[in-house]
Amino acid sequence: MTHYDKSTIADLVDGRLEWSQLKAMMSNFKDPDRFDKYIAVLQERVPWDDQILLPLGPHLFIVRKADGSIVTKSRSGYEFGDYRQNWKLKARIRVRDTDASLQELYPAMMHCTPGWMELREYIDPLDGTLLEVEAVPPGYPVVHSFQPDLETFYREWLGRSL
Amino acid sequence: MSNGMGNRPRILAIDAGGTMTDTFIINERGEFVVGKAQTTPYDESIGFLNSARDALHYWGMGVEEAFSAMVSGIYSGTAMLNRLLERKGRTVGLIVTAGMEDYLRMERAIQTYLGYSYSDRLHIVTHHHNPPLVPRKRIFGVRERVDVFGKVAIPLYEHEARAAAEQLLAMGVDSIVVNFIYSFKNPAHEQRVREIAEEVMAAEGRQVPIYLSSELYPLRADFPRLNATLLEAYAAEPSREQLQRVRQVTRDHGARFDLRVMASHGGTISIDARELARTLISGPIGGVIGAKYLAERIGVHNVACTDIGGTSFDIALITDGEFQIKNVPDVARFLLNIPLVQIDSVGAGTGSFVRVNPGNRRIEIGPDSAGARVGMCYPEGGVDTVTITDCNVVLGYLNPDNFLGGEIKLDRQRAIAAVRQQIAEPLGLDVYAAASGVVELFEDSLKNNLLGRIIGKGYGPENYTLLSYGGGGPLHVGGYSAGLNFEDVLIPSWAPGFSAFGCACGDFEYRYDRSIDLPIFPGIDDATRMQLGNAINAAWDALADQVAAEFAKSGIPREQIRFKPAIRMQYYGQLNDLEFRSPVQRIEEPGDILQLVRAFEDLYAKIYYNAARTPQFGYLATRAIMTGSVDVEKPALPHRVETGPDPDPEAQVGMRDVYWKGSWISTPIFAMDRLHAGNRIVGPAIIEAPACTLVVPPDRWVWLDRNDIFHMRKV
Repeated sequence: MTHYDKSTIADLVDGRLEWSQLKAMMSNFKDPDRFDKYIAVLQERVPWDDQILLPLGPHLFIVRKADGSIVTKSRSGYEFGDYRQNWKLKARIRVRDTDASLQELYPAMMHCTPGWMELREYIDPLDGTLLEVEAVPPGYPVVHSFQPDLETFYREWLGRSL
Repeated sequence: MSNGMGNRPRILAIDAGGTMTDTFIINERGEFVVGKAQTTPYDESIGFLNSARDALHYWGMGVEEAFSAMVSGIYSGTAMLNRLLERKGRTVGLIVTAGMEDYLRMERAIQTYLGYSYSDRLHIVTHHHNPPLVPRKRIFGVRERVDVFGKVAIPLYEHEARAAAEQLLAMGVDSIVVNFIYSFKNPAHEQRVREIAEEVMAAEGRQVPIYLSSELYPLRADFPRLNATLLEAYAAEPSREQLQRVRQVTRDHGARFDLRVMASHGGTISIDARELARTLISGPIGGVIGAKYLAERIGVHNVACTDIGGTSFDIALITDGEFQIKNVPDVARFLLNIPLVQIDSVGAGTGSFVRVNPGNRRIEIGPDSAGARVGMCYPEGGVDTVTITDCNVVLGYLNPDNFLGGEIKLDRQRAIAAVRQQIAEPLGLDVYAAASGVVELFEDSLKNNLLGRIIGKGYGPENYTLLSYGGGGPLHVGGYSAGLNFEDVLIPSWAPGFSAFGCACGDFEYRYDRSIDLPIFPGIDDATRMQLGNAINAAWDALADQVAAEFAKSGIPREQIRFKPAIRMQYYGQLNDLEFRSPVQRIEEPGDILQLVRAFEDLYAKIYYNAARTPQFGYLATRAIMTGSVDVEKPALPHRVETGPDPDPEAQVGMRDVYWKGSWISTPIFAMDRLHAGNRIVGPAIIEAPACTLVVPPDRWVWLDRNDIFHMRKV
């Protein structure tokens, strides 16, 4: 069975692994306890004690609070409410839909035409961390990107209750 | 092996591998001794000398006595390859056509996944760029352009060339490489850059060598040409010093022969040869050269060569007495335009790891390997995953007390426990059934690969003689040849040393290639044919001069050289070409062009189909090739007196329980060196030698011929 120690997983999270290690990891069978070690590494690094149940991004997690409720929470500690709701609806949003705002990121002619596509930046209201970016046509609904089946994942894949 | 008096060593073959240096010394009767010593990478001559001493002590001979009797010495090794893999080469500066400064780093994209297993080729995140041999800051673009016809489209901007040379020298480079687009069609700009760089160097009082792609590898395809030329400057030159040191050691100890190196085209060249990067791959092709030589000597034309080592299964085909040459091979994740003997490698050898895929519960073999760490049965190796060798030990094929002549003790119980825990239990199988299943799967996959190669050439196994060598070949030959009707199955008794033996069989031969790109359209008149013929002759002549110049370095006059012109052709508009020996020595008359065309058509029909031929497109002669060889002494095959079919009673050294397809059979064990020519052994049987084990399955028998080669037959 493939097996890595926790410090290897921590290096993986930090992007510090040697290429040869990384390549071997990708080409080999997956280590069955990766999720637990990964969560343990992440848990040590967040400034709050709520239990991480699933990471949604480098700075965004689904956590269980002391009162048992399950919410989406950012690294800074901002809570977006019940994890089944789209957290983006409670984030700060910046829309880049003009040539000037798009050319802050792209050289002219290599940026999108605002009438066809806009960039929506979803930002942590507490510390301003960019949590996600959508590139969609103007008027497109806010995308609810991921609706995990936490119960099934824990019970049937990890073999324990949530 | 032999001992006692009357040995006159004739030929020395050296294989300096990454860990061990092997020497193979052959006397005039074809008897040989093998020596081993640790490779000494900082100065290979030390390891070489230790290895030669080790070999010669079997004959009770000193190095001086032996070296002075030898007529020929051939070197092959991995030093240059290691220098490349470890990026420990020279500080090279590169001048290219302006606007193309990045193509070395872009690696034509393909180098991001060269050498990968099938699954990783599809697994995009595993693709990555290699550290470049020359960093971007030492790559300078100089404005110039030559078009596909060799015409100057933009003249050379000489002041830019001068500035580039000045800056490179200021950066302290050891050498300068110049590679311009289409320089093989018109080398004027590259040559002018050299002149300018030499002026700059003279002015600054510092000399570094300059390498022009149009001189070293004047072939189409810029990127492989760049790689090959860079390799020459980066890795080959420093390796030349190593070779000179080895040569010096042979001379200091009385040798009168001139040390030669195995080159990738299948011949040996002098260590003074200009294009030394051709010797980058030498070890693995030794087996194919040996097979070709063996085939000539015993009179077979088609040989399927199979070599099982610790990490790979190598297949090469010799068809009508010739091996195939690969045009643009890839070596160590580099595309090169150095012609290489075509060997197909399957990533599975005796050291390959065996795992049960937790997803689909299938057994997967390789592609990674324990290599010299053997497997779980060798605790000192520190491996934690089962290998093919472990399965062989579990099933009783391998004698745990006689692995590498007993130098390494194997722990059978540990192998059994590991196979049980890692393979058998997850699959719900008995441990022996599991090990047997693994070996069967391994052999089936080798068999399918072998069959695929033969059928791909338009032949069937019944057209070929199978030759099996390498440390693991004799162990599995019964398995991977089962059910295929080979004309014959040969296992030389010196199978583990066959590659080294093969290096000693190489011709002293130089090969030069040059892109020509001459269209031969249908319906041309005789005058046009003669024009084409003259152009081909001119290319052959120029290459022959190069061949002669290289031989002159070894003091060999032109009259002694046997020249063999060859050519590559394709239908006009195609992307790939075929290589063949020219049926005529020179194009003397218009009809000779037709002979070339006919030879191409015949070959094309053989490789593809008759119906695939499309002469209406016309032809393109893409490349002129000239090889020149001179006679050198080759090893004699062992020659033994034939006795009766029954082996001496003392040849059988014991009985061992061996697992054959579901049942344990008490199996006789023979000592290979106690068998005589003519002896016949009916399976099941196991024949052991210090470095290899020949497994004879229950439905097979083998006999040993006069040349110490086993033949395996069906009962």
